[in-house]
Amino acid sequence: MADVVIQTTNLSKELTSSLLRRKVRILSGLNLSVAKGETFGLIGPNGAGKTTSIKLMLGLMRATEGKAEILGMPAGDKRALAQVGYLPENPYFYSHLTGREFLDFAGQLFGLGSRERKDRSKELIETVSLAEAADMQMRKYSKGMLQRLGIAQSLINRPAVIFWDEPMSGLDPIGRRDIRQILFGLKEKGTTIFFNSHLLPDVNEVCDRVGVINKGRLIVQEEVKNISAGGSYKDLEDFFLEVINKSESESNARTDQMAAITPEKEAAKPVKSEEEAKP
Amino acid sequence: MTAPHNDLSVIAPVAAIALNAFRETVRDRIIYALIFFAAIVTVLGIVLGSLSVGQDIRILKDIGLAAISFIGGIIAVFAGTNLVYKELERRTIYIIFSKPVSGWQFVLGKYIGLCLCVFVMVVAMGAFLAIIVTALSGSFAGASFFDQIKEITQELSLIYLELLFVTALATFFSTFSTPVLSVLFTLAIWLAGHLGESLLELGKLTQNPFVAQILSIIFYCLPDFAGLTRIRGHLLYGTHPGTEVLTYLVTYVLAYVLMLLVLAAIVTERKEFA
Repeated sequence: MADVVIQTTNLSKELTSSLLRRKVRILSGLNLSVAKGETFGLIGPNGAGKTTSIKLMLGLMRATEGKAEILGMPAGDKRALAQVGYLPENPYFYSHLTGREFLDFAGQLFGLGSRERKDRSKELIETVSLAEAADMQMRKYSKGMLQRLGIAQSLINRPAVIFWDEPMSGLDPIGRRDIRQILFGLKEKGTTIFFNSHLLPDVNEVCDRVGVINKGRLIVQEEVKNISAGGSYKDLEDFFLEVINKSESESNARTDQMAAITPEKEAAKPVKSEEEAKP
Repeated sequence: MTAPHNDLSVIAPVAAIALNAFRETVRDRIIYALIFFAAIVTVLGIVLGSLSVGQDIRILKDIGLAAISFIGGIIAVFAGTNLVYKELERRTIYIIFSKPVSGWQFVLGKYIGLCLCVFVMVVAMGAFLAIIVTALSGSFAGASFFDQIKEITQELSLIYLELLFVTALATFFSTFSTPVLSVLFTLAIWLAGHLGESLLELGKLTQNPFVAQILSIIFYCLPDFAGLTRIRGHLLYGTHPGTEVLTYLVTYVLAYVLMLLVLAAIVTERKEFA
């Protein structure tokens, strides 16, 4: 594999539920590598561990076991974060700021100079088609406009790596097309892209490789071009459903087996979803 | 492709977060507090002018300064306790900590932004009070005018010093507590800081050395706001407390503020954003 930009080794996360102080594992032994210039899509059902994976890679959460590295530096290292662009899921921004002020704020957090911030903000506002709303307070923005602005702020520092969590969420078909165009532009420039999405047609169109995650475990990684080429699957959606169904059956069989061997304590340690486990 | 990561970026995030906190507080209808203050002072000026003889300016100044201290404190407590919590609640914290920003830069930026806002409010209210006092006393020029301005400025400086402290307390509590609890903790310590000497008195009254010792430890841990109030009293009646006392107080407050901010930064640094 070419230069590895994102690498996780046995990355795991346990949360303690606040009520019963019970430990719940929401991510188990995630091992993956993303090469320089590659576009990797992490797909999975709601609460599968996609957002947790990104947060661990960025150092927003600390791993219980294992490690994550970006550009050869540990998760959360400031030198690595200086080269990263991140779009959180359902982004909420400062409603008192205008779009332009917010981009300037994001640029300042990266230590960009005044001239550069101004030029870059202007350029990105054009790119995400927000020119008319740029000087409007964000409290008046629609969900789609916030999503576009979120994408713009993630690109303010001309990142080498981007992490986008559900980038197409809240966008209309035109918005989705625009974001796909931005993604293609970034790919051409050699940016490494890691993103989570539910919208499989977009993933299919944009990604080089996908990973399917369910109940905190990465089940499979596959090159997108190989999925339909083998003839076993009609498209990415077919592949995804097949993999998830298989994983669910195996998981249920495992639980039944464990319940049969150790009737009480051991069987009661399932891997919970992110949403179930939130303290 | 890589972003600049130069020496400037240590200060730039602090400045950005400070400016954002300032904008947020100022744009959050804080101007109403100023209008409320102006209304109190104006009404008092008219009422006192018709009721009291000779002492109207003194009373107006006393009440005006107390109102500045109270309103400034309310802004510091309520805005301060919400500053960090709101970032968590609205999940804007992800935007900040996914960028090369440290916990201490975040806390310091928030604190500076809020202090700046409190400063602007204190100056605006102080200027309004000075105008009303000057108008009612009829001394627009000469030594008496400058004495009035000097006295109000000195008082405002001490009020602001106290508010720096209250802001740091509110910021500290907001890093690990809900706004309601943070408000309660901050107000409790603010109040206790003013009544601290009563603890020593209580210790003497109990005649139990152990209880007295415990109460004296609590007294020394609590901030000594009573000292600041005492000095304000001296200034109000024209006695200068002396440079040594003032230097001691400023150092005391700044050391306490620094300690609170360091603790807040440690808490923030250890936080996870699930």
